[in-house]
Amino acid sequence: MYSVLTRVNAILTYTLSVLACLTFLCFLSTLTVDYRTTAQMNTVKVVVKNVPDYGASRERNDLGYLTFDLKTDLSNLFNWNVKQLFLYLTAEYVTPNNELNQVVLWDKIILRGENALLDFKNMNTKYYFWDDGNGLKGHNNVTLSLSWNIIPNAGLLPNIPALGQHSFKFPVEYTQTRV
Amino acid sequence: MDFFTSIPTHIDYVGQAKAEKLYRAIITLFSIVGFIWGYIVQQFSQSVYILGAGFILAAILTLPPWPMYRRNPLNWQNPRNPEEKTSSKKKK
Repeated sequence: MYSVLTRVNAILTYTLSVLACLTFLCFLSTLTVDYRTTAQMNTVKVVVKNVPDYGASRERNDLGYLTFDLKTDLSNLFNWNVKQLFLYLTAEYVTPNNELNQVVLWDKIILRGENALLDFKNMNTKYYFWDDGNGLKGHNNVTLSLSWNIIPNAGLLPNIPALGQHSFKFPVEYTQTRV
Repeated sequence: MDFFTSIPTHIDYVGQAKAEKLYRAIITLFSIVGFIWGYIVQQFSQSVYILGAGFILAAILTLPPWPMYRRNPLNWQNPRNPEEKTSSKKKK
């Protein structure tokens, strides 16, 4: 505390310690928040094709194609410790090859302050719905579910599943034409 | 460079204790106010800005050697006369 430099050091160190403490308190203040909320989703058009997967093995695999509706209000999830939400829509199903298949079909980033009232109609998926084999044709219980990953200022990055799912069936015949 | 080093920046012991108490009080107070305000408006950036304002205020009040930190100078002993010094050196 004798010279200017030691005083600068003392003040800066104390300020940064207090800032770290504030950040931790901010984390504690949002620790018990329940980030679950409802989401309604629905499939509009569901088609399955059998085409070569050149990205993997050139074998003919099942490729699902679907459009979906999604309606949810996420605006009450945002608080002072949420910077952005990463939404992702997954399809989950069981095949004889695998007990659990999870395919991410679509995702979206919502920054805080952006519109979080979502109402999508007849949306295309962003990513291919490949099965690693022929498990999609005639499958009668594929579950569509929405989840979000919360990106905070400080603290945990939880993955929260939305309340509400949608199950749908794939047609029993392959579609040959372009859709 | 000599010009800068010749500027007296020191503060006395009582002043150092005073300065330390003052910056701790200011920064702590601003952090509490900032936390509450940030929670009310649900913007953590507001808390950080308020803490930054507290830092600037504390820096203005405690960095320069203000006269209030220099009211208790140490009473040094007067220097002994130079002849005695030289004689003692000779003995060594």
